[in-house]
Amino acid sequence: MTSCRWTALGLAAALIATVPVIAHHSSAPFYDATKKIEAQGPVTKLLLRNPHSFLYFESEVNGKKVEWQVELGPAASLTRTGWTSDTLKPGTIVRVSGQPSRAEGSFGMCCARITRPDGSPITPGGRVTEEQQPPGGGLSR
Amino acid sequence: MLADLLAWLEGTRVATWTRESPSLWAYPTVLTLHTVGLAIVVGVSAVVDLRLLGVARRVPLATLMPAFRLIAWGFLLNAVTGLLLLIADATMKMRQPVLYVKLALIALGLRCTVLARKEIRYGPVAPTSTVSPRASVIAMASLLLWAAAITAGRLMAYL
Repeated sequence: MTSCRWTALGLAAALIATVPVIAHHSSAPFYDATKKIEAQGPVTKLLLRNPHSFLYFESEVNGKKVEWQVELGPAASLTRTGWTSDTLKPGTIVRVSGQPSRAEGSFGMCCARITRPDGSPITPGGRVTEEQQPPGGGLSR
Repeated sequence: MLADLLAWLEGTRVATWTRESPSLWAYPTVLTLHTVGLAIVVGVSAVVDLRLLGVARRVPLATLMPAFRLIAWGFLLNAVTGLLLLIADATMKMRQPVLYVKLALIALGLRCTVLARKEIRYGPVAPTSTVSPRASVIAMASLLLWAAAITAGRLMAYL
């Protein structure tokens, strides 16, 4: 029975050791934090939702029109910084810089700094800092 | 057909509320309760399993019977909150193979819980009694299955 007890304790220790690896939802699997990209163009849609909101806008990349998908924080957090689903209406020009998606051939960004073309904040008095909208904030994606 | 069903689920009022409400009582609360329910189900199951594996042997097995009622309440909480989280993003989540891996692992984990309850209910009564090798296998399988189910659940955010 002693061996059983040690097996159980070992298993429990193994379980505890696994927890830090899976407890945090990082952006690293999807976005490359070592790179930074910037694009500018008209908003196509803003989806304010949980656990993550998304902003879509168009720009030209190598002479071709592409639609960018920018991953934002949860609606529950964004609304606390003054955003609503009407904050960025389709057609509004935005300048977005952030970390590029790792997926080959995709046009995705996270941890983005979003401003008007002149660099002013989106919402009156809004912060314009790096990583204004962290991708986390939820346990689940 | 299936796509229509998923889109309909996602469009229901309760799914839309979970997904789009800016309130802390919507998505954040549902997700938090799902985590609390998980802690109850797996935490209390682990207590039973560890006892079956020989930890705290002086605790009479029969005194563990109320644990199964707690597990059932925890499971009910997670079935409800899990369903809400699922339909809020039905078109995406119902297409993820890892969801079905997670559901299968939960079903097997619950099966272990039912078997463990039988072992305890009809097993030896004396406080220091050892349990059958069969009970040890059930307990070990339960610990592993719940750990795997949690892992599959977490992977839903990544795969």
